[in-house]
Amino acid sequence: MLKKKTVSVLMSLIMLVSLALVGCSSSSSTEESSADGKKVIKFMHLWPEGSSNAQFSIVKDIIEEYEKEHTDIKVETEILNPDQYREKLKVLASSNELPDIGMTWSDGFIKPYVEGDMLAPLDDIVDANLKDAFIPGVKESYAVDGKTYGLPLELNISYVFYNKEIFEKYNLEVPQTFEEYKNVVKTLADNGVVPATVGAKDGWPASFWFMYLADRIGGSTILTDVIHGKAKMDDPAIVKAAEEVQNLVDMGGFVKGSSALSNDDAKGYFMNEQAAMFLTATWELPNYTTSPDVAQEFKDKIGYFKFPTYEGGKGTDIKSYVGGPGVGLFVAKDSKVQKEAKDFSAYLVKKWGEKSVTDAGVIPATKVDTANLDLAPMYIEILKDLSEASNVTTYFDTQSSPAVSELHHDLVTALFGKQVTPKDFVKQHADELAQEQE
Amino acid sequence: MKSVMSNKFVITLYVLPALILILLLIYIPIVLTGYYGLMDWNGIGKMKFIGLENYIELVQDKKFWQSTWHSLLLGIFSTVSLVGYLILSLILASKIKGANFLRKIYLIPMLLSSVAIGQLWAKIFDPTNGMINRLLVMLGVDNPPLWLADSNIVLYALFIPIVWQYAGFYIIIFYAALKNVPEELIEAAKIDGANPIQIAYKIKIPLIIGVIKVMVILAIVGSLKYFDLIFVLTGGGPNGASEVMASYMYTEAFSKYNFGYGSAIGFGLLVICLIMTWLIQKLLSSKEDVQF
Amino acid sequence: MSKIAYETEPSTTLSAPYKTSKTLGTRIGYGILYFILGVIAIVQVYPLVWLFLFSLKTNQEVFGMSPFAFPQDPQWGNYVKAWTAGHIDVYFFNSVLYTVIAVVLTVILASFVTFAITRMYWKLSGVVLGLFMAGYMIPLHSTLIPLFNIFKSVNLIDNPISIILSYVAFNLPITIMILTGFYRTIPREIEEAAVMDGCSVHRIFFQITLPMTVPVLSTTVIINMIYNWNEFVFVNTFLSSDKWKTITVGVNNFVGQYLTDWGAIGATLMISIIPVLIAYFLLSDRIVEGIAAGSVKG
Repeated sequence: MLKKKTVSVLMSLIMLVSLALVGCSSSSSTEESSADGKKVIKFMHLWPEGSSNAQFSIVKDIIEEYEKEHTDIKVETEILNPDQYREKLKVLASSNELPDIGMTWSDGFIKPYVEGDMLAPLDDIVDANLKDAFIPGVKESYAVDGKTYGLPLELNISYVFYNKEIFEKYNLEVPQTFEEYKNVVKTLADNGVVPATVGAKDGWPASFWFMYLADRIGGSTILTDVIHGKAKMDDPAIVKAAEEVQNLVDMGGFVKGSSALSNDDAKGYFMNEQAAMFLTATWELPNYTTSPDVAQEFKDKIGYFKFPTYEGGKGTDIKSYVGGPGVGLFVAKDSKVQKEAKDFSAYLVKKWGEKSVTDAGVIPATKVDTANLDLAPMYIEILKDLSEASNVTTYFDTQSSPAVSELHHDLVTALFGKQVTPKDFVKQHADELAQEQE
Repeated sequence: MKSVMSNKFVITLYVLPALILILLLIYIPIVLTGYYGLMDWNGIGKMKFIGLENYIELVQDKKFWQSTWHSLLLGIFSTVSLVGYLILSLILASKIKGANFLRKIYLIPMLLSSVAIGQLWAKIFDPTNGMINRLLVMLGVDNPPLWLADSNIVLYALFIPIVWQYAGFYIIIFYAALKNVPEELIEAAKIDGANPIQIAYKIKIPLIIGVIKVMVILAIVGSLKYFDLIFVLTGGGPNGASEVMASYMYTEAFSKYNFGYGSAIGFGLLVICLIMTWLIQKLLSSKEDVQF
Repeated sequence: MSKIAYETEPSTTLSAPYKTSKTLGTRIGYGILYFILGVIAIVQVYPLVWLFLFSLKTNQEVFGMSPFAFPQDPQWGNYVKAWTAGHIDVYFFNSVLYTVIAVVLTVILASFVTFAITRMYWKLSGVVLGLFMAGYMIPLHSTLIPLFNIFKSVNLIDNPISIILSYVAFNLPITIMILTGFYRTIPREIEEAAVMDGCSVHRIFFQITLPMTVPVLSTTVIINMIYNWNEFVFVNTFLSSDKWKTITVGVNNFVGQYLTDWGAIGATLMISIIPVLIAYFLLSDRIVEGIAAGSVKG
């Protein structure tokens, strides 16, 4: 009888001791300098080896090179997937525990962090190491009150990608105007083919359609003006854009039940050739060019065209794009190794620009010299488009504050599901924007 | 008897470790959540004290009450489905052939994480390629429902995977409770000529009523703070049609950067849970019951 | 103490159904019953089959194709990828460690509390039970930022203790609630007799009550195990070193910025489910055997 008791007491003791041991062995990793006296830079990024192998490897190689050149520095990475990255960054910021270097999105995302005095201005390092390195206008997306707080890594613009085989089958031409586009939609829908797939549940993929229509109908600056209070959300052109979205929905222009499909779900329809078109951004290019996971047959069938112009609309230039910088790097203001962190992030941006197109198929925010690179034709064309672009309007949800961005996603989902009228769609935006500008 | 079983030292020894743990790790956060609810705070940088403003806004917030209603509906639905779980458990516990094996199988969905369950049901509900609609089209239905995209049915469609996922949880507990019922009572009733249904109704259920009550509370409170699958499958959409309290809280605090308001929602959720639990206790109480 | 052992049959639930009558009506009745039970079983087991098929598919097959469809060319490479790129080896060990420690602590602490609340006499027992129950009502995401600050203040960030303590604290309420329901069904006479015999409280708890509750303890162990094994919000928030992270993080590592590798996710999930499945099957038998084993020894 006594034995049982002893056993249970012993067990609890073992538990406690093992807990204590686990505790002891982990205490060293949080200090600023490692055991061998090196300075440690903590770098948090969102490219796990599993899902973003190419990006992961580039970053890993760059870190190794840097550590070889700077023997007194050690770069420690923490890698999370994008959703969890956002969540954790939020918690870390609330406790003022940001990593020395981390990733940020532009405009609306970075602003609260700058206003909360969390980030270090990077103009000094840009002037010293990255002068004229960026494509004009991109770095400015990470600026607040004239100071740059983020070094952009990516730049994406959106196109309509289409399945050439399906187009040929129904004798369709690439549409130049929205009327022509509607005819394409009609032909496809009449033949039981899904004209375009869109993951409206996630909001942002659906927003591409709305943004392009607003750009073509109301002119290339209209959405930016709305955010800066220079134009009104209930401008007739924007109402018209929302109406045209619903016209397309009524025509059967999108995959059924799009408001419950995620971008990944929707992409499946295009990848399986069930849908003829997919309006998405250049981050999808590897799937149509270099990705070893996708069949060559499929890649050969994919082409792209610029979003058609709208008859009588103000945005007459087809070379105006909707797009924007993706992620960039920030350096924490309270970092104890701020100088080193700045130096490393500039190094990373530079090297990233040299490798990202060829190794990961990502278009960097820095200028790329295509002449010396062996690239798939689609990349060369798109890089050329980019250099000839008359305008790139940054995504509406990226430009706006987190609250407006979230509302915009909800509303655009509802617009595609016809749970909101175009009038109500703009009104709810206008109300939230007005509340913010108070 | 009483003196041995009311030894203060032993009581303290048994209760204190667990109590300290939840006071530190659950009650401090609860208090802090209530406190953040008094702030205008985006989670980054400085807080500004605004008194009860967030809570006043919460009481008037139509979206909050809509999401509360959705959570309550889920709670009602889960409670009703307890009847089904109980019947299944009664059958499985009545020593029919293969019960042991079936009981094991029934818990499998619970072993899977919400990531997997979400993926599976997204595929099942897909309006064109999904399992349900392919079947309906095969059966000659022209315009099958859009399920998660239809704001009128999305909430009810979501209840299906939730109930399905938690079936095993309740069955395993009911089953264990039924196995605790003394065999001689059942044998005696059988000798008296009672049929299985009478035995279940007159002997088994009254004996496990304590467990059933706890399960009702768990089902309702669990539903009120439920989040996972809804967030994965619809994110509360379309147009808020499947927004529940926890998803609303998350969106405000983490997506919209209204951490102060999000905290107020979290605190409101807690208060509603407490009220509901109190109500259930009242409704189900009998003399021998716990006092709260 | 022999009278406390109420008779239980040796618990092979596979023993024959009621042998009394074998009329046609009963047979049809059983037929229908088994049909329904069978259908439910298929519905419940289907996700596992689906997950297995899923884990062998390419991304292209995962989307658009029916979830019933078989993979054209089984991608066993997904498993290799899961093991290497997903760092499953390290994560796996951590998952087991945290789960086991947290489950044992939770169940022991919860048993202590439940025993004190339902078996012992003191004024505040109702209040304390209420405190534990209310602990179940706070939404997890509300606690993240406060908890992070608490752990930061005691230097437990990036330390597995923070994870284990969180698991224990957050599972205690539900475990205590389930145990309470059961403790109330156990007749008090047994303990009363033990007190007459001069047993101490500890002996009553460890040698009489605890063995009698083995079935429900197994149940709570299963439930705790599943919760802890699949948890990732705490792990992601409180841990940052790769060496401490758990298998659910491995799953999430295949969710990418622009591309999600669903096949590898399926493979990781498949690998991660096997240990829980085995542990569950083993523990599940204890739910039945427990009563007999526990009471006979007394």
